[in-house]
Amino acid sequence: MADDYAMMENDEDDEITQEDAWAVISAYFEEKGLVRQQLDSFDEFIQNTMQEIVDESADIEIRPESQHNPGRQSDFVETIYKISFGQIYLSRPMMTESDGETATLFPKAARLRNLTYSAPLYVDVTKRIIKKGHDCEEVAETQDFAKVFIGKVPIMLRSSYCTLYQNSEKDLTELGECPYDQGGYFIINGSEKVLIAQEKMSTNHVYVFKKRQPNKYAYVAEVRSMAENQNRPASSMFVRMLSRTSAKGGSSGQYIRATLPYIRADIPIIIIFRALGFVADKDILEHICYDFSDTQMMELLRPSLEEAFVIQNQQVALDYIGKRGATVGVTREKRIKYAKEILQKEMLPHVGVGEYCETKKAYYFGYIIHRLLLCAIGRRPEDDRDHYGNKRLDLAGPLLGGLFRMLFRKLTRDVRSYVQKCVDNGKDVNLQFAIKAKTITSGLKYSLATGNWGQANQAGTRAGVSQVLNRLTYASTLSHLRRLNSPIGREGKLAKPRQLHNSHWGMMCPAETPEGQACGLVKNLALMVYITVGSAAHPILEFLEEWSTENFEIDVNTEVGVIRDIRLKELRLYTDYGRCSRPLFIVEKQRLLIKKKDIRALQQRETPEEGWHDLVSKGFIEYIDTEEEETTMISMTINDLVNARQNPEEAYSETYTHCEIHPSLILGVCASIIPFPDHNQSPRNTYQSAMGKQAMGIYVTNYQLRMDTLAYVLYYPQKPLVTTRAMEHLHFRQLPAGINAIVAIACYSGYNQEDSVIMNQSSIDRGFFRSLFFRSYRDEEKKMGTLVKEDFGRPNRENTMGMRHGSYEKLDDDGLAPPGTRVSGEDVIIGKTSPIPQDDAQGQASRYTRRDHSTSLRHSESGMVDQVLLTTNADGLRFVKVRMRSVRIPQIGDKFSSRHGQKGTVGMTYTQEDMPWTVEGITPDIIVNPHAIPSRMTIGQLIECIMGKVAAHMGKEGDATPFTDVTVDNISKALHKCGYQMRGFETMYNGHTGRKLTAMIFLGPTYYQRLKHMVDDKIHSRGRGPVQILTRQPAEGRSRDGGLRFGEMERDCMIAHGAAHFLKERLFDQSDAYRVHVCEKCGLIAIANLKKNSFECRGCKNKTDIVQVHIPYACKLLFQELMAMAIAPRMLTKEPNATKDQKKK
Amino acid sequence: MSSSTKVSALDMPDVPMGQLPEHLHLQRTRVVCKADAPIHTEGIQYSGAYASTGVDNSMGPNKFCKNFKTEVVRLTEDEIEFDMVGIDASLANAFRRILIAEVPTMAIEKVLMVNNTSVIADEVLAHRLGLVPLNADPRLFEYLSENDTPNERNTIVYKMDVSCKKGGSRVTVKSDQLKWLPNGSELQMATYDSSAKAKSYTSFSCSQDSMPEFSQKPLGVRFDDIILAKLGPGQVIELEAHAVKGMGKVHAKWSPVATAWYRMLPEVVILKEVKGDDAEKLVKKCPVGVFDIEDLGNGEKKAVVANSRACTLCRECVRGVNEELVELRRVKDHFIFTIESTGAFSPAELFMKAVKILEEKCDRVISKLS
Repeated sequence: MADDYAMMENDEDDEITQEDAWAVISAYFEEKGLVRQQLDSFDEFIQNTMQEIVDESADIEIRPESQHNPGRQSDFVETIYKISFGQIYLSRPMMTESDGETATLFPKAARLRNLTYSAPLYVDVTKRIIKKGHDCEEVAETQDFAKVFIGKVPIMLRSSYCTLYQNSEKDLTELGECPYDQGGYFIINGSEKVLIAQEKMSTNHVYVFKKRQPNKYAYVAEVRSMAENQNRPASSMFVRMLSRTSAKGGSSGQYIRATLPYIRADIPIIIIFRALGFVADKDILEHICYDFSDTQMMELLRPSLEEAFVIQNQQVALDYIGKRGATVGVTREKRIKYAKEILQKEMLPHVGVGEYCETKKAYYFGYIIHRLLLCAIGRRPEDDRDHYGNKRLDLAGPLLGGLFRMLFRKLTRDVRSYVQKCVDNGKDVNLQFAIKAKTITSGLKYSLATGNWGQANQAGTRAGVSQVLNRLTYASTLSHLRRLNSPIGREGKLAKPRQLHNSHWGMMCPAETPEGQACGLVKNLALMVYITVGSAAHPILEFLEEWSTENFEIDVNTEVGVIRDIRLKELRLYTDYGRCSRPLFIVEKQRLLIKKKDIRALQQRETPEEGWHDLVSKGFIEYIDTEEEETTMISMTINDLVNARQNPEEAYSETYTHCEIHPSLILGVCASIIPFPDHNQSPRNTYQSAMGKQAMGIYVTNYQLRMDTLAYVLYYPQKPLVTTRAMEHLHFRQLPAGINAIVAIACYSGYNQEDSVIMNQSSIDRGFFRSLFFRSYRDEEKKMGTLVKEDFGRPNRENTMGMRHGSYEKLDDDGLAPPGTRVSGEDVIIGKTSPIPQDDAQGQASRYTRRDHSTSLRHSESGMVDQVLLTTNADGLRFVKVRMRSVRIPQIGDKFSSRHGQKGTVGMTYTQEDMPWTVEGITPDIIVNPHAIPSRMTIGQLIECIMGKVAAHMGKEGDATPFTDVTVDNISKALHKCGYQMRGFETMYNGHTGRKLTAMIFLGPTYYQRLKHMVDDKIHSRGRGPVQILTRQPAEGRSRDGGLRFGEMERDCMIAHGAAHFLKERLFDQSDAYRVHVCEKCGLIAIANLKKNSFECRGCKNKTDIVQVHIPYACKLLFQELMAMAIAPRMLTKEPNATKDQKKK
Repeated sequence: MSSSTKVSALDMPDVPMGQLPEHLHLQRTRVVCKADAPIHTEGIQYSGAYASTGVDNSMGPNKFCKNFKTEVVRLTEDEIEFDMVGIDASLANAFRRILIAEVPTMAIEKVLMVNNTSVIADEVLAHRLGLVPLNADPRLFEYLSENDTPNERNTIVYKMDVSCKKGGSRVTVKSDQLKWLPNGSELQMATYDSSAKAKSYTSFSCSQDSMPEFSQKPLGVRFDDIILAKLGPGQVIELEAHAVKGMGKVHAKWSPVATAWYRMLPEVVILKEVKGDDAEKLVKKCPVGVFDIEDLGNGEKKAVVANSRACTLCRECVRGVNEELVELRRVKDHFIFTIESTGAFSPAELFMKAVKILEEKCDRVISKLS
C-alpha cells in the first residue's frame, strides 16, 4: 500500500509532457483570447489613464480683466474664479436619436446604421469664486456641477465598457454578433477601425553607439528623456566623446561634451556638473566613476577635467551655459536664471522637473557618462538599436491617451477663454455652455476615422494609425488586430530595422510580414505575446527607498521586468507600458515547477477562477520581457530538460531558468495556419502568410446580418484534414477558408504550365470552390440647405434631369430594388432625386423639376439584390444599404493557392472523363505542375499531402504542428499500412486515351484556398470610350471603362521597329487628336467659325493667312496654359527661311 | 529471357515464324510496372506491326468475338464490378467516357423560388437541388431545346414547401420534401397585361400520372434522405423545381454515374525463387496480401503469389534488392471495370446503354462516310 502511494505520489510529481503543455496553452487562450493586448490596453486607458489625465490638468484660474467702470466700484478687490475637474464617469455606449430619445447602442446597430459606437463621458466640475475684500477677508463660493457631459469616447468592442462584455455565446448570437468575433476594434461611422500598434524606441534609456570613423566623435551616448504623463516630445540628450584625431590644439584630446536642449553648443560635461552645483573634481568623479581605483576610466576623464579647469564655480558654469542659450544680450543674472531653468526643466525631465533634484540629475548624468566610458574602454559593446528590448509598442490605450490628453487640454483652454470672456463682460458663468463636448467627441472620431493621429491639419500627425478592419477572412481579421507598424521611412534603404532580430523570438512572427516597401517594418505579434500596459512605479520606488539595503521579498506586479545585470552591477526594474513579454515555464534545478498534478487539476477544473492566471499566480509560469530574456537560460523543449538531468555532461546548460511552453508559439496568426512550416523554405511561409489573408471562407458567422461593402463566402468550406495545434485557438475549424482538394502533381496536357493549374470541371459542377460574392451599396437622403432634402423614389423621365443610361425598371415605388431582383450592368438599384429650385424670373419654367442622384450597379457586375436595409442615420436622415449577391463559379483565370505559398491560376478545366484516374477510380480536383516544387522547396506541401491521405483513410485529423517529432517516415509507414505506395505515388490512367500513364503520380488531399482575385473582376477591354475632361485623353482604369495604356516601353518598341505610323495612330489619333487654326503671321491660335467658314486672327487683323493644324489636345492645353503665364508659344507652319523670304518680298 | 543481360543480336536464336519472341510478346500484352514508373503502356494498333515475324496484329470482328469475354465479379444495387477481357484500352475507355458524359439522365435544371427565408442562399439551394438524383427513366423523355415550351414529355415538375414553426425546433429539409407535380407547374407567369390570360410555366397537355409509363411508377427522388437545407424557427422554403433531360458533359449533375473506371488486371510474377527469411520479408512487405508462403516441407519456405488481383501497385515489393526478384505487370487487354451508379439506372443497364450509344455513334460515322 505504502509503495503504491509512493508510486502515485511519484507520478503526481512527474515531469509534464509536451502534450500537457497544450493544456496550458488552451487555458491561456480560453482566458485571454487573441486580441488581449488591444483589450488590456484600452481598459487601462478607460480605467486609469483617462482619470489621470483629468487629474493632472491644473485648475483653471481666472481673474477678471474687466474694463475700468467708473461709477460702479466693486465691493471686492479681486475676484478669482477657479474651475476644477474631478471624478470622471463613463456610461455604456449610447445613442441619441434625432428626436432626442436615448438608448443603449449595440454594435450591430452601429455597424448597420453607420453610427459611432461610443459612450458619453461625464465629469464632476467644481466652480469656486473667491472674492477678496478690501480688508483681506476672503469669501469663497463653491458651486458643484455633477456629471457634466464632456464628450463621447469610442468604445472598443468586447472591452469592459462594451455592451457585449462577458456575454455568453447564446446572448451574442441573439444580439446578432458572431460569437467567434474577438472585438478589439472600434466602430466609427459604421466602419470597423483597428488601431495598429506603433513601435518606437524606448525612452529614458541610455544608448551608447560607436561612431563610424572618420567622424568628429568617437562615441555617442544618447537618452531620449520623457517624463511619464507628459504630452511633450521627448527631450534628447547626447553625450559625445570626441575622437582623437579631431581634437586639435595639442591637448590629449578626447573631450566629452553633452548637448542640452535649447543650448546651441555642446557643453563640456564637467561644466554641467559644476552648473548643477557639484564643483569639486572629486564630487564630480564620484558621480561618474564609481571606483576611483579604476585608472583606465579616470584617465579618460582627465581631458574633460582639464578642459573645464577655467570654470571653477557654479555661477560661472551657469553663465557659460546661459551664454550659449537662445537669448542673446541679456544680463548675467538673467542668463544664469535661464541656464538654471534649462537644467531644471529641460534636461533629463524624467528624473524630475521640480526643484532640488540636482543630485538625482547629477547621478543620472554621471551614469550616462559612465556608460559611455565603459564602451569607450571596450568593456561593453555598443548598444543594439534593433534589440527588441529597446523597443516599446504604443497600443490603443497610449495612443488614445495621447489624443485624449491633447483634446482635454484644448477643452480646458476653450473653457478658460469662454469663462474669461464671461467674467470680463460681467456675465454669469454657465459651465454647461463653457464645456464644448464636441471638442472631444469629434476630435477622437476624426483621428479614428481618418487614421491621422493628432489634430486635423497640424504638423506631427501620423497617418495610417487607424485602419479599416480587414474582414476578408477570419484569419485576416485576427492578424489585422495583432499588427504592428514601425514608423520608419519606407524609402530608407537601411536594411537593419527590417531584418529579423534574434530578440524577436517568441514576440514577433518570423514569417508574417508584407513583401516590398513595408517588408520587416510591418510585423505581427506571435501568438502568446503580452504587451505590458504599465504599472505604477511608486510602490517599488518607495520600497526601494526604504528597504533597499536589506534583504526582503516582495511581490511585484507580474508585468514588472526585473533585470539583474551582473556585468554592469545593476538591478533594473521596468514598469513602463509597451514592453513585449511572453510566458515561460519556470525551471528550478533542471525541473519544471509545474507538475503533472497541476495539469490534471487544470484539465479537470470547473470554475473559471482556476486556469491560466492561477498558474501564473502559483508561480509555475512567469512573463519574461525581451530585456529580461537576455538574463535567462531557456530550454527549447521539456525533453531538453529531461536529457539535461539524465546526462548533465552532454546538456547544453546546467542552469536552465525557464522552458519554452511550445516552440511553435513563435509564429503569428497567419503562419500558424501553415502545416509543416518547418519543412518549407522560409519565404514561402511569408508568401502564404500574405495569401492566407486573401482566401475565401466564412469570415464571421453573422455575415448575413452585416452589410459589408465587400464580402466573399465559400459555399462549402471544409476544415483542413491536416491541422496545426494552434489552429484550434484560431477557430480555423469553425471558420475555415478552403477545401481539402484531391491534388495531383503531374504534367497532364500542358495546361498547367507556369503556375497554372488544371481543375476538374465536374468537381466544380458539384460545388467545388463555388462562392458567393456580396457587395453593398449605400446612400442617404442628404439635406441640401435647411429646407430642401433629397428623396428616395423612382425618378420620372418626364421631370428628372440627368438620368443614367441604366434601367430604372427594377425600382419599386420607394426607389429601391426589392430583394430577389436580378440586377446587372448599370441597372439603377437606389433611386434618388433632389428638387431643382425653379427660377420663375427666367420666364419659361424648365421641364425639369428634379435632378437624378441615383446609384447604379457597377457596370461589370451582376447578381441578385440580397437584402435591403432602410433606416435612419445619426442625423435622423433616411439611409439605405442595398446588398447585392452573386455566385462566383471557378473558371479559367481564377486564382487558387495551397497553404505553402504555391499560388496559381486555373489554366484549364477538364471534365471528370478527361481527368486521369487511379486504380480506385479517383480523379483529382486539381492538377498542379511538378515544376512548381523543386525550385521553391515547399516540402511542407508534399508532407501535408501524404499526411492528408493517411488522415482521410484513418478518419482522423493529421497533426502538422511545427517542431514536433512527426517524421515523414512515420507518415509513410501509416500510408503503406492503408495499402498505398509509401510516398503517396499512384499509378494513373490517362483520361483521354484510357492507357496507363508512364509515370507515377503524386496524389492526395491538400488543403487549397480560393483567393479573392478572379478574372471576372479584372477582365477589361475597350475600343472607344470615355475620356478625361481636362486632357481629352482616354480615362484610366477598368471601373471607368478606361483605355489600356500604351506606355513608354511600348513606345520604345515601336520606335525600334520604325513603325512610325502606328506610333502616331496610338499616341495621337487614338488618343487626343485635336484641330486648331493658326494664324500664319503670328503663329498663335486664331478664331475659327467653321459654320460661317470665317477665320480671323484679331491681333494681326488677318483673315486670310490661316492654316489648320492637328495637335494633341494636351498640347493645345499646354499652349494655353503657357499663354496664361505670358509666354507666347508660336506655331510656325512654314520654314523659317521661307517666312523671311516672304517678308522681304 | 526478360532479364537485362546484354546479348549480341548475332548470338540470338532465330525468330521462329508465326510467333513473337518473348520480350516482344511481353511488350505487346503487358504493362510492366517498374519501381519508378510503368513501361510499355502503349497499345500496338498497326496490323502489320509484327509482320516480319509472321504475326498478324490485325483486329477483326471474328477475332474479337473469339477473344472477348466478360464476367461479373460483384453486382449490387448501385455498383457493378466486372472483368472485360480481350478488348483494347481505347474501346474500354470509350465506354467509360460515354458512361460519365453521354448517357442522359433527368436532373433539376430550373428552380422557381417562391419564398426562401432560410439561411441558405437561393443559388446554393438551387445548386443542391440540381445534384439530387431523380427516380425517372430518361428514355421516356425528350430533350428540352431552347425554344421548346416545357411539356409533359420533356419536363418533370417538383414542388417543395417546407416551413419551420415559430418557437419550434430546427427542421432539416431532406429530399423527400420534393413532391412530384404530375400536372405541371402550379405557378403563374407574371403578366404585365392584365387582360391576357395568366400562363403557367409549363404547358402540359395531360397529366403525367395518366400516362401509362408513369402511372405505376411515380417520378420521385431516388434517395429520401439527402439533406438539402436546415430551417430555423419561422423560416420557410417554397419553390418549384423543373427537371429536364441532359448529359453529363453539359453538367455533372446529369452524369448517371458517380464514377466509372477500370483498371488493368494485375499480374505479379516472382522471377527468381524467394526462400526462407526473404520470403517472409516479401510477404510482410505487401499490405494487401498479394504474396503467401508455401511450405516446402523440411522447414523450407517459399514465397508464392496468392492474390495478384489485390495488388494496388505500392511497389514496395520491387524496391531495392527485390527489383530482380519480383515483377509487377498489368494485362493490357483485361480490364476490371467498375461502375458506380447514382441511381437512375441499375449499373448493369448503364453499361448496356453505353454500348448502345457507342454503336449509334459508329452508325452515324458510317452513314456519314457512305
